[in-house]
Amino acid sequence: MAEKHNHDHNHAPMVEEISDFEVLEIAVRELCIEKGLFTIDDHRQFTEYAHNIGPLPAARLVAKAWLDPEFKKLALEDGVKASLEVGIDWITSPPTDFGTPSDYCDLRILEDTATTKHVVVCTLCSCYPRPILGHSPEWYRTPNYRRRIVRWPRDVLSEFGVNLPEGVNVRVEDSNQKCRFMVMPMRPEGTEGWTEEQLTEIVTRDCMLGVALPHPDRKHNAKRPIHKAINPVHGH
Amino acid sequence: MNRSHHADKATGVGDPQCFKGEAGPAKFKAGDRVRVKDLPDIFYTRTMQYCRNVVCEVVIATHESPAAEDEAWDNCDNPEWFYIVRFKQQDLWPEYPDTYSNDTLQTELSERWLELV
Repeated sequence: MAEKHNHDHNHAPMVEEISDFEVLEIAVRELCIEKGLFTIDDHRQFTEYAHNIGPLPAARLVAKAWLDPEFKKLALEDGVKASLEVGIDWITSPPTDFGTPSDYCDLRILEDTATTKHVVVCTLCSCYPRPILGHSPEWYRTPNYRRRIVRWPRDVLSEFGVNLPEGVNVRVEDSNQKCRFMVMPMRPEGTEGWTEEQLTEIVTRDCMLGVALPHPDRKHNAKRPIHKAINPVHGH
Repeated sequence: MNRSHHADKATGVGDPQCFKGEAGPAKFKAGDRVRVKDLPDIFYTRTMQYCRNVVCEVVIATHESPAAEDEAWDNCDNPEWFYIVRFKQQDLWPEYPDTYSNDTLQTELSERWLELV
Protein backbone atom coordinates (compact mmCIF):
# COMPACT_ATOMS: atom_id res chain seq x y z
CA MET A 1 0.00 0.00 0.00
CA ALA A 2 1.15 3.50 -0.71
CA GLU A 3 2.57 5.42 2.20
CA LYS A 4 0.12 7.91 3.65
CA HIS A 5 0.63 11.34 2.14
CA ASN A 6 2.24 13.66 4.62
CA HIS A 7 0.58 17.08 4.59
CA ASP A 8 3.28 19.18 6.18
CA HIS A 9 4.24 20.75 2.86
CA ASN A 10 2.30 22.99 0.54
CA HIS A 11 1.61 21.85 -3.01
CA ALA A 12 -1.40 21.18 -5.21
CA PRO A 13 -2.69 17.60 -5.21
CA MET A 14 -0.94 15.57 -7.87
CA VAL A 15 -1.26 12.12 -9.41
CA GLU A 16 0.87 9.67 -7.49
CA GLU A 17 0.19 6.57 -9.50
CA ILE A 18 0.28 5.54 -13.11
CA SER A 19 -2.55 3.32 -14.32
CA ASP A 20 -2.09 -0.10 -15.90
CA PHE A 21 -3.39 1.31 -19.17
CA GLU A 22 -0.81 4.09 -19.18
CA VAL A 23 1.95 1.54 -18.54
CA LEU A 24 0.58 -0.59 -21.37
CA GLU A 25 0.38 2.38 -23.76
CA ILE A 26 3.98 3.38 -23.04
CA ALA A 27 5.22 -0.21 -23.41
CA VAL A 28 3.43 -0.75 -26.74
CA ARG A 29 4.44 2.67 -28.06
CA GLU A 30 8.12 2.14 -27.19
CA LEU A 31 8.05 -1.33 -28.70
CA CYS A 32 6.51 0.01 -31.94
CA ILE A 33 9.18 2.69 -32.17
CA GLU A 34 11.95 0.16 -31.43
CA LYS A 35 10.59 -2.21 -34.11
CA GLY A 36 10.36 0.63 -36.64
CA LEU A 37 6.58 0.54 -37.16
CA PHE A 38 6.56 4.31 -36.67
CA THR A 39 9.03 6.90 -35.46
CA ILE A 40 8.83 9.07 -32.38
CA ASP A 41 8.21 11.99 -34.71
CA ASP A 42 5.28 10.14 -36.33
CA HIS A 43 3.86 9.59 -32.86
CA ARG A 44 4.12 13.28 -32.05
CA GLN A 45 2.33 14.04 -35.31
CA PHE A 46 -0.51 11.58 -34.50
CA THR A 47 -0.86 13.04 -31.04
CA GLU A 48 -1.00 16.60 -32.33
CA TYR A 49 -3.60 15.59 -34.91
CA ALA A 50 -5.71 13.91 -32.26
CA HIS A 51 -5.51 16.98 -30.02
CA ASN A 52 -6.33 19.44 -32.78
CA ILE A 53 -9.52 17.97 -34.23
CA GLY A 54 -12.82 19.50 -33.11
CA PRO A 55 -16.38 20.32 -34.20
CA LEU A 56 -15.71 23.67 -35.92
CA PRO A 57 -15.31 22.34 -39.48
CA ALA A 58 -18.65 20.55 -39.18
CA ALA A 59 -20.29 23.71 -37.84
CA ARG A 60 -18.97 25.65 -40.81
CA LEU A 61 -20.22 22.96 -43.17
CA VAL A 62 -23.73 23.31 -41.77
CA ALA A 63 -23.58 27.11 -41.95
CA LYS A 64 -22.41 26.95 -45.58
CA ALA A 65 -25.22 24.54 -46.44
CA TRP A 66 -27.80 26.86 -44.84
CA LEU A 67 -26.60 29.68 -47.07
CA ASP A 68 -25.86 27.86 -50.31
CA PRO A 69 -28.48 25.42 -51.72
CA GLU A 70 -25.98 23.99 -54.21
CA PHE A 71 -23.52 23.19 -51.43
CA LYS A 72 -26.32 21.73 -49.35
CA LYS A 73 -27.16 19.38 -52.21
CA LEU A 74 -23.52 18.27 -52.40
CA ALA A 75 -23.34 17.81 -48.61
CA LEU A 76 -26.38 15.53 -48.61
CA GLU A 77 -25.13 13.54 -51.61
CA ASP A 78 -21.44 13.22 -50.78
CA GLY A 79 -20.36 14.19 -47.27
CA VAL A 80 -16.72 13.31 -47.90
CA LYS A 81 -16.50 15.61 -50.92
CA ALA A 82 -18.37 18.42 -49.15
CA SER A 83 -15.94 18.15 -46.21
CA LEU A 84 -13.11 19.29 -48.50
CA GLU A 85 -14.80 22.71 -48.68
CA VAL A 86 -14.22 23.15 -44.94
CA GLY A 87 -10.67 21.83 -45.05
CA ILE A 88 -11.28 18.24 -43.99
CA ASP A 89 -9.88 15.54 -46.23
CA TRP A 90 -11.20 12.22 -44.92
CA ILE A 91 -9.13 10.20 -47.38
CA THR A 92 -5.72 11.55 -46.45
CA SER A 93 -6.20 12.49 -42.83
CA PRO A 94 -3.37 11.35 -40.57
CA PRO A 95 -2.08 9.07 -39.23
CA THR A 96 -2.78 6.44 -41.87
CA ASP A 97 -3.74 8.35 -45.03
CA PHE A 98 -6.91 6.33 -45.33
CA GLY A 99 -8.72 7.75 -42.37
CA THR A 100 -7.55 7.22 -38.83
CA PRO A 101 -8.20 3.68 -37.65
CA SER A 102 -11.97 3.20 -37.53
CA ASP A 103 -12.57 6.60 -39.16
CA TYR A 104 -13.93 5.10 -42.34
CA CYS A 105 -14.48 7.53 -45.18
CA ASP A 106 -18.23 7.46 -45.73
CA LEU A 107 -19.76 10.54 -44.10
CA ARG A 108 -23.54 10.76 -44.33
CA ILE A 109 -25.23 14.02 -43.38
CA LEU A 110 -28.76 13.69 -42.01
CA GLU A 111 -31.00 16.64 -42.79
CA ASP A 112 -33.57 17.60 -40.17
CA THR A 113 -36.89 18.84 -41.52
CA ALA A 114 -40.04 20.34 -40.04
CA THR A 115 -41.30 16.78 -39.51
CA THR A 116 -38.13 14.71 -38.87
CA LYS A 117 -35.54 15.10 -36.12
CA HIS A 118 -32.41 12.95 -36.31
CA VAL A 119 -30.26 11.83 -33.42
CA VAL A 120 -27.02 9.83 -33.70
CA VAL A 121 -25.74 6.98 -31.54
CA CYS A 122 -23.44 4.00 -31.82
CA THR A 123 -24.98 1.27 -29.71
CA LEU A 124 -22.00 -1.01 -30.24
CA CYS A 125 -19.45 1.39 -28.87
CA SER A 126 -18.38 4.80 -30.18
CA CYS A 127 -18.47 5.24 -34.01
CA TYR A 128 -18.23 9.00 -34.51
CA PRO A 129 -17.24 11.30 -37.42
CA ARG A 130 -14.00 12.33 -35.70
CA PRO A 131 -12.17 14.02 -38.60
CA ILE A 132 -14.90 16.64 -38.89
CA LEU A 133 -16.45 16.64 -35.40
CA GLY A 134 -13.47 15.90 -33.13
CA HIS A 135 -13.57 13.38 -30.32
CA SER A 136 -16.90 12.20 -29.00
CA PRO A 137 -18.13 13.52 -25.66
CA GLU A 138 -17.86 11.11 -22.75
CA TRP A 139 -21.65 10.67 -22.44
CA TYR A 140 -21.89 9.57 -26.09
CA ARG A 141 -19.84 6.50 -25.24
CA THR A 142 -21.70 5.54 -22.05
CA PRO A 143 -23.92 2.43 -22.03
CA ASN A 144 -26.59 4.62 -20.44
CA TYR A 145 -26.92 6.85 -23.52
CA ARG A 146 -26.34 4.05 -26.02
CA ARG A 147 -28.93 1.67 -24.71
CA ARG A 148 -31.60 4.24 -23.88
CA ILE A 149 -31.53 6.57 -26.91
CA VAL A 150 -32.57 3.78 -29.29
CA ARG A 151 -35.50 2.66 -27.19
CA TRP A 152 -36.70 5.81 -25.42
CA PRO A 153 -35.36 8.57 -27.69
CA ARG A 154 -37.94 11.16 -26.66
CA ASP A 155 -37.22 10.70 -22.96
CA VAL A 156 -33.48 10.98 -23.48
CA LEU A 157 -33.85 14.03 -25.75
CA SER A 158 -36.02 15.58 -23.08
CA GLU A 159 -33.20 15.09 -20.57
CA PHE A 160 -30.99 17.07 -22.98
CA GLY A 161 -33.64 19.82 -22.97
CA VAL A 162 -35.17 18.99 -26.34
CA ASN A 163 -38.92 18.43 -26.12
CA LEU A 164 -40.37 17.58 -29.49
CA PRO A 165 -43.99 18.20 -30.39
CA GLU A 166 -46.18 15.36 -31.62
CA GLY A 167 -45.93 16.34 -35.29
CA VAL A 168 -42.14 15.91 -35.31
CA ASN A 169 -40.98 12.33 -35.83
CA VAL A 170 -37.77 11.13 -34.24
CA ARG A 171 -35.33 9.18 -36.37
CA VAL A 172 -32.51 7.50 -34.45
CA GLU A 173 -29.43 6.68 -36.49
CA ASP A 174 -27.51 3.75 -35.02
CA SER A 175 -24.07 4.08 -36.56
CA ASN A 176 -22.48 0.67 -36.41
CA GLN A 177 -20.57 -0.09 -39.61
CA LYS A 178 -18.42 2.07 -41.92
CA CYS A 179 -20.74 5.06 -42.42
CA ARG A 180 -20.28 8.02 -40.12
CA PHE A 181 -23.18 10.37 -39.40
CA MET A 182 -23.77 13.99 -38.43
CA VAL A 183 -27.00 15.92 -38.25
CA MET A 184 -27.73 19.05 -40.25
CA PRO A 185 -30.22 20.84 -37.99
CA MET A 186 -32.79 23.31 -39.28
CA ARG A 187 -31.70 26.93 -39.41
CA PRO A 188 -33.44 28.66 -36.50
CA GLU A 189 -35.61 31.73 -36.79
CA GLY A 190 -33.95 34.98 -35.82
CA THR A 191 -30.88 34.39 -37.98
CA GLU A 192 -32.09 36.15 -41.12
CA GLY A 193 -29.29 37.96 -42.91
CA TRP A 194 -26.56 36.35 -40.79
CA THR A 195 -23.13 35.67 -42.27
CA GLU A 196 -21.44 32.27 -42.45
CA GLU A 197 -19.26 33.22 -39.45
CA GLN A 198 -22.27 34.15 -37.35
CA LEU A 199 -24.16 31.00 -38.26
CA THR A 200 -21.11 28.82 -37.56
CA GLU A 201 -21.08 30.10 -33.98
CA ILE A 202 -24.51 28.69 -33.14
CA VAL A 203 -24.05 25.22 -34.64
CA THR A 204 -22.69 23.43 -31.61
CA ARG A 205 -21.42 19.88 -31.37
CA ASP A 206 -24.59 18.70 -29.66
CA CYS A 207 -26.71 20.20 -32.47
CA MET A 208 -24.80 18.02 -34.92
CA LEU A 209 -25.30 14.89 -32.81
CA GLY A 210 -28.99 15.70 -32.69
CA VAL A 211 -29.38 16.17 -28.94
CA ALA A 212 -29.71 19.96 -29.11
CA LEU A 213 -31.29 22.54 -31.41
CA PRO A 214 -29.44 25.64 -32.61
CA HIS A 215 -30.61 28.88 -31.11
CA PRO A 216 -29.56 32.43 -32.09
CA ASP A 217 -28.58 33.21 -28.49
CA ARG A 218 -26.55 30.07 -27.83
CA LYS A 219 -23.03 30.21 -29.23
CA HIS A 220 -20.34 27.58 -28.82
CA ASN A 221 -17.80 30.23 -27.90
CA ALA A 222 -20.04 32.00 -25.38
CA LYS A 223 -18.56 32.92 -22.01
CA ARG A 224 -19.30 30.28 -19.38
CA PRO A 225 -20.82 31.49 -16.13
CA ILE A 226 -18.38 31.34 -13.22
CA HIS A 227 -19.84 30.30 -9.89
CA LYS A 228 -17.85 30.93 -6.75
CA ALA A 229 -17.05 27.82 -4.70
CA ILE A 230 -19.26 27.40 -1.66
CA ASN A 231 -16.44 25.87 0.36
CA PRO A 232 -13.26 27.25 -1.22
CA VAL A 233 -9.99 25.37 -0.63
CA HIS A 234 -7.41 27.72 0.91
CA GLY A 235 -3.70 27.73 0.32
CA HIS A 236 -3.60 26.54 -3.28
CA MET B 1 2.54 -13.00 -43.40
CA ASN B 2 1.56 -9.62 -44.83
CA ARG B 3 -0.13 -7.71 -42.04
CA SER B 4 -0.52 -4.43 -43.90
CA HIS B 5 -2.29 -5.50 -47.12
CA HIS B 6 -5.48 -3.76 -45.98
CA ALA B 7 -3.66 -0.50 -45.27
CA ASP B 8 -1.70 -0.72 -48.54
CA LYS B 9 -4.94 -1.09 -50.47
CA ALA B 10 -6.72 1.78 -48.73
CA THR B 11 -3.91 4.35 -48.62
CA GLY B 12 -4.77 7.40 -50.68
CA VAL B 13 -8.06 5.81 -51.78
CA GLY B 14 -10.01 5.47 -48.55
CA ASP B 15 -11.79 2.63 -46.82
CA PRO B 16 -14.50 1.57 -47.89
CA GLN B 17 -13.75 3.26 -51.27
CA CYS B 18 -10.95 0.73 -51.88
CA PHE B 19 -13.51 -2.11 -52.19
CA LYS B 20 -15.61 -0.33 -54.80
CA GLY B 21 -16.70 -2.60 -57.63
CA GLU B 22 -15.74 -5.84 -55.87
CA ALA B 23 -19.16 -7.00 -54.68
CA GLY B 24 -21.03 -7.26 -57.96
CA PRO B 25 -24.55 -5.91 -58.34
CA ALA B 26 -26.46 -4.97 -55.18
CA LYS B 27 -29.19 -7.46 -54.33
CA PHE B 28 -31.56 -4.93 -52.74
CA LYS B 29 -32.72 -1.47 -53.75
CA ALA B 30 -34.29 1.47 -51.96
CA GLY B 31 -37.84 0.69 -50.87
CA ASP B 32 -37.38 -3.10 -50.62
CA ARG B 33 -38.99 -4.74 -47.59
CA VAL B 34 -36.46 -7.01 -45.93
CA ARG B 35 -36.14 -9.06 -42.77
CA VAL B 36 -32.97 -9.11 -40.67
CA LYS B 37 -31.79 -12.70 -40.35
CA ASP B 38 -30.84 -14.13 -37.00
CA LEU B 39 -27.55 -15.74 -38.01
CA PRO B 40 -25.17 -17.35 -35.52
CA ASP B 41 -22.34 -15.05 -34.45
CA ILE B 42 -20.16 -16.91 -32.03
CA PHE B 43 -17.00 -14.97 -32.90
CA TYR B 44 -17.77 -11.43 -33.98
CA THR B 45 -20.67 -9.44 -35.37
CA ARG B 46 -21.94 -5.89 -35.66
CA THR B 47 -25.60 -6.84 -36.07
CA MET B 48 -27.44 -5.86 -32.94
CA GLN B 49 -29.75 -8.31 -31.20
CA TYR B 50 -32.58 -5.79 -31.07
CA CYS B 51 -33.08 -5.76 -34.83
CA ARG B 52 -32.97 -9.50 -35.54
CA ASN B 53 -36.00 -11.08 -37.14
CA VAL B 54 -37.52 -7.63 -37.57
CA VAL B 55 -38.79 -6.40 -40.95
CA CYS B 56 -37.48 -3.07 -42.23
CA GLU B 57 -37.14 -1.01 -45.39
CA VAL B 58 -33.98 -0.51 -47.43
CA VAL B 59 -33.15 3.22 -47.61
CA ILE B 60 -29.99 3.13 -49.72
CA ALA B 61 -27.11 0.85 -50.74
CA THR B 62 -24.15 2.75 -49.30
CA HIS B 63 -20.88 1.03 -50.16
CA GLU B 64 -19.07 -2.27 -50.66
CA SER B 65 -16.84 -3.73 -47.98
CA PRO B 66 -15.94 -7.03 -46.40
CA ALA B 67 -18.60 -7.84 -43.81
CA ALA B 68 -17.51 -7.03 -40.27
CA GLU B 69 -17.74 -10.74 -39.43
CA ASP B 70 -15.02 -11.43 -42.04
CA GLU B 71 -12.94 -8.30 -41.71
CA ALA B 72 -12.49 -8.91 -37.99
CA TRP B 73 -10.42 -11.95 -38.99
CA ASP B 74 -8.51 -10.17 -41.75
CA ASN B 75 -10.58 -11.83 -44.46
CA CYS B 76 -11.14 -9.32 -47.29
CA ASP B 77 -11.86 -11.89 -50.01
CA ASN B 78 -15.62 -11.45 -50.34
CA PRO B 79 -16.75 -7.83 -50.12
CA GLU B 80 -20.51 -7.33 -50.07
CA TRP B 81 -22.98 -4.47 -50.28
CA PHE B 82 -23.98 -2.53 -47.18
CA TYR B 83 -27.38 -0.92 -46.74
CA ILE B 84 -28.91 1.71 -44.52
CA VAL B 85 -32.22 0.22 -43.39
CA ARG B 86 -35.14 1.85 -41.59
CA PHE B 87 -37.30 0.30 -38.87
CA LYS B 88 -40.51 1.55 -37.37
CA GLN B 89 -39.76 2.00 -33.69
CA GLN B 90 -42.98 0.18 -32.85
CA ASP B 91 -41.69 -2.91 -34.68
CA LEU B 92 -38.58 -2.93 -32.48
CA TRP B 93 -39.92 -2.14 -29.02
CA PRO B 94 -43.20 -3.57 -27.72
CA GLU B 95 -43.94 -0.65 -25.42
CA TYR B 96 -43.32 2.12 -27.98
CA PRO B 97 -46.34 4.42 -27.72
CA ASP B 98 -48.97 4.75 -30.46
CA THR B 99 -48.74 8.53 -30.17
CA TYR B 100 -45.31 8.34 -31.77
CA SER B 101 -45.99 5.55 -34.24
CA ASN B 102 -44.13 7.41 -37.00
CA ASP B 103 -40.82 7.40 -35.11
CA THR B 104 -38.11 5.40 -36.87
CA LEU B 105 -34.63 4.00 -36.36
CA GLN B 106 -32.00 3.50 -39.05
CA THR B 107 -28.92 1.36 -38.99
CA GLU B 108 -26.53 -0.32 -41.41
CA LEU B 109 -26.35 -3.99 -42.25
CA SER B 110 -24.44 -6.01 -44.79
CA GLU B 111 -26.19 -8.01 -47.48
CA ARG B 112 -25.79 -11.43 -45.81
CA TRP B 113 -28.01 -10.29 -42.95
CA LEU B 114 -31.01 -9.35 -45.10
CA GLU B 115 -33.69 -11.35 -46.94
CA LEU B 116 -36.65 -10.13 -48.97
CA VAL B 117 -40.06 -10.60 -47.38
